Amino acid sequence: MSLPPEYFHEINTLNREFIEASPDDILQFCADYFQRRLASQRHEFLVANPQSRKSGMVDPNIRGMQALQEDEAVASPTASSFPSNPFDTTMNASNPRDAGNGTTADGHQFNFGGFSASVGAPPSGGGDASNFPNNYNLNRRISVSAESLDPASTFSSNWVPPFYPKTKEQQTRLTNAVAQNFLFAHLDEEQSSQVLGALQEKRIPAKGVKVIEQGAEGDNFYVVESGTFDVFVHPSGKIQPGIEGLGNNVGTVGAGGSFGELALMYNAPRAASVVSAESSTLWALDRVTFRRILMDSAFQRRRMYEKFLEEVPLFVTLTPYERSKIADALESKKYPPGTTIIREGDPGDAFYIVEQGEAEVFKRGADKPINRIEKGGYFGELALLDDQPRAASVISKSEVKVATMGKDAFQRLLGPVESIMRRNDPRRGQAGMEEVDPLSKE
Amino acid sequence: MSYPSPLQYHPDSHDSIPSTYTYRPSYSSSSSSRSAETLARDHEQLLISHWPPSHRSSGSLSPNRLLDKPTSARPIGNSLKHLRPADFDQIKTLGTGTFARVWLTRWTHPHDERSAHQVYALKILHKVDVIRLKQVEHVRNERNVLAAVAGHPFITTLVASFQDEESLYMLLDYCPGGEVFSYLRRARRFNEPTSRFYAAEIVLILEYLHEKEGVAYRDLKPENILIDADGHLKLVDFGFAKTVGNRETYTLCGTPEYLAPEVIRNTGHGCAVDWWAFGILIYEFLVGQPPFWDQNPMKIYEQIIEGNIRYPSAMSPDARDLIAKLCTVDTSKRLGNIRGRAAAVKAHPWFRGVDWDAVFHRKMQGPIVPQLQGPADTRHFDEYEPEPEKQEVYTRELREKYEEAFKDF
Repeated sequence: MSLPPEYFHEINTLNREFIEASPDDILQFCADYFQRRLASQRHEFLVANPQSRKSGMVDPNIRGMQALQEDEAVASPTASSFPSNPFDTTMNASNPRDAGNGTTADGHQFNFGGFSASVGAPPSGGGDASNFPNNYNLNRRISVSAESLDPASTFSSNWVPPFYPKTKEQQTRLTNAVAQNFLFAHLDEEQSSQVLGALQEKRIPAKGVKVIEQGAEGDNFYVVESGTFDVFVHPSGKIQPGIEGLGNNVGTVGAGGSFGELALMYNAPRAASVVSAESSTLWALDRVTFRRILMDSAFQRRRMYEKFLEEVPLFVTLTPYERSKIADALESKKYPPGTTIIREGDPGDAFYIVEQGEAEVFKRGADKPINRIEKGGYFGELALLDDQPRAASVISKSEVKVATMGKDAFQRLLGPVESIMRRNDPRRGQAGMEEVDPLSKE
Repeated sequence: MSYPSPLQYHPDSHDSIPSTYTYRPSYSSSSSSRSAETLARDHEQLLISHWPPSHRSSGSLSPNRLLDKPTSARPIGNSLKHLRPADFDQIKTLGTGTFARVWLTRWTHPHDERSAHQVYALKILHKVDVIRLKQVEHVRNERNVLAAVAGHPFITTLVASFQDEESLYMLLDYCPGGEVFSYLRRARRFNEPTSRFYAAEIVLILEYLHEKEGVAYRDLKPENILIDADGHLKLVDFGFAKTVGNRETYTLCGTPEYLAPEVIRNTGHGCAVDWWAFGILIYEFLVGQPPFWDQNPMKIYEQIIEGNIRYPSAMSPDARDLIAKLCTVDTSKRLGNIRGRAAAVKAHPWFRGVDWDAVFHRKMQGPIVPQLQGPADTRHFDEYEPEPEKQEVYTRELREKYEEAFKDF
């Protein structure tokens, strides 16, 4: 196989420059060279395509977008987190989230991708490189996968998440420590308390203990309760034997900090090594426990919704596919006692299923509730059918949790309710329509 | 020479092929030197070497006839019990994954002129790696889904599967054009007509997988889309494909840049994840890189959950609108998942003018038709490192625990 002439051109130029510079760090020099070549080639390309340079309607303050226009899309289009200087290794330490947290860095800095080595490159000559902040990984991307999670097996084995008691202070500290982490931000109260309960204390008795090793498999996420940890990154992407094997110290984590959060997603090689700087205490959470807690509550809620939906006469003609679509789209809402959830006379735009608590139905003129709605009960579903005003008011008696869906969402997913109701089902006729509204019961 | 008569199988009459091979003793009488086992292997060779029927060009299988048949009545996609890896010569590595390697292969002992020129892609998975990486369920899903969809015009055909003591094998049709990924990186980005052509074929794949098979593919990306000899697409690597039906599923899998928000949040996911990934894919076609990216994977996931996509000003409003509707965090608003399903995607203005019937029947000329010297040309595939020598041992202990799970492979 013969190599293309362009290749020889590149290699020869590199050879010349190499001889001139006779650098100490051979790989670094070559990497810089190609980086520079890439940037200037893109620049040439742009000059050759002048129409791509004209400015568009995009706000020039959005740095990533601007870059996208000028470089023909070589910058990350969501470059809000793009380092202004790609050679600034301290970018994570200066993360604004860490402000007020002293020397503590959050977990982000330990999750460099495998190509993080280039982050530490010294500036190459000329300003070209910074005008073309292209560090998108152009290589093949590797698929990732977590352990197979099967809700059925969880339920047959009656799995309950582990629970490790904590003091009030500890709980507050933990809540604050994970508050910024998006993986925890979407949890509901029950999930949150299960996850916090599952964090297990881990004492690190001395200085110099490697809690995680760069390149090794990772199963745990850690929050620092007390003490300090040093973070090291070896440019090879992997911890090496010997004194220098840890690589460069890139930061420290103190109390309230956390690291190793990628392990909560799937098993990826650790991007850094973390070593105790003194005797310390950690909280650990493993991936399977975390994901199982999330799965369990989602799974239970879905099955509950599906079961409720089967009870609603209006939906009796829905196929299982349609029912699962609705269960997927139902939203949970909570009302304190005494809240008017729907008001008689208002236009109806959503229906409700009671998940928890108790609500009462009132009609104008009656001084007592005309009906009660408990768990599994539903109301307001006729709103999906027509634009009639609400026939009654529903007021929460206790705290009430409902699953709700708007008419627009329903139609978006399945089309008009009327056409679904008109399906041939011997069990229903036009006459049945009135019966389906519990609000009309007197 | 006394092979079982190839006349047993007529290329045009798939219907007559038994779903599983049953050895007929009548052959053994005419072949004293051959063991029954050898004969059985020969028969399996013959059976599959008549695929694809010779009067059709390599990729252009007639889509309808085959897919209308139940899986068991097709001549392809079966688990064969006598085929061995030694029946194939490994020519070159075509791709590698975390626990699999795909080889270009040909018959070690071709029995006729036709099979002497046949090549296949052979995907090899070591059982011990499959177990170590906890992918047993995924590998079973992969085989079963591929068998179920064998014969689809835009999905790699599982010709047969087999196994030996140590490994699992999937014999697949060879797709000589290489990965769309390679073309995309070389071109940096595709123009709209090229992107539209490939997107249209992918819509048909997703429509078929979701609505006919109830299968979520879960790993859409340019690396998993190959170009065949005619310039049409073939979706490969069904390692994460799963029959989900109406039930949601929870195992996190995919490729970081392409993960849907509901996968990251572990709230249960289904076929809708493929429509999200389809939006990312179109974006990557048009822009040259996916919309969500950071060196730190956790930051990618944070961006995905927020779901704000920025578009280059040069992108057409229709393309923007389509991507925005596909990459919608709320699944109850995501195009493809809402009313009309795939039909609603096909009806989007970006696809205006696409003759979907012509797309399905491969009547459209592809924008890239690979230049090839013969069916075994591998110029469109990159070079891969040789396989590491060191192999973990599939111990008796592991075998006792897991072999049952591989029984139907």
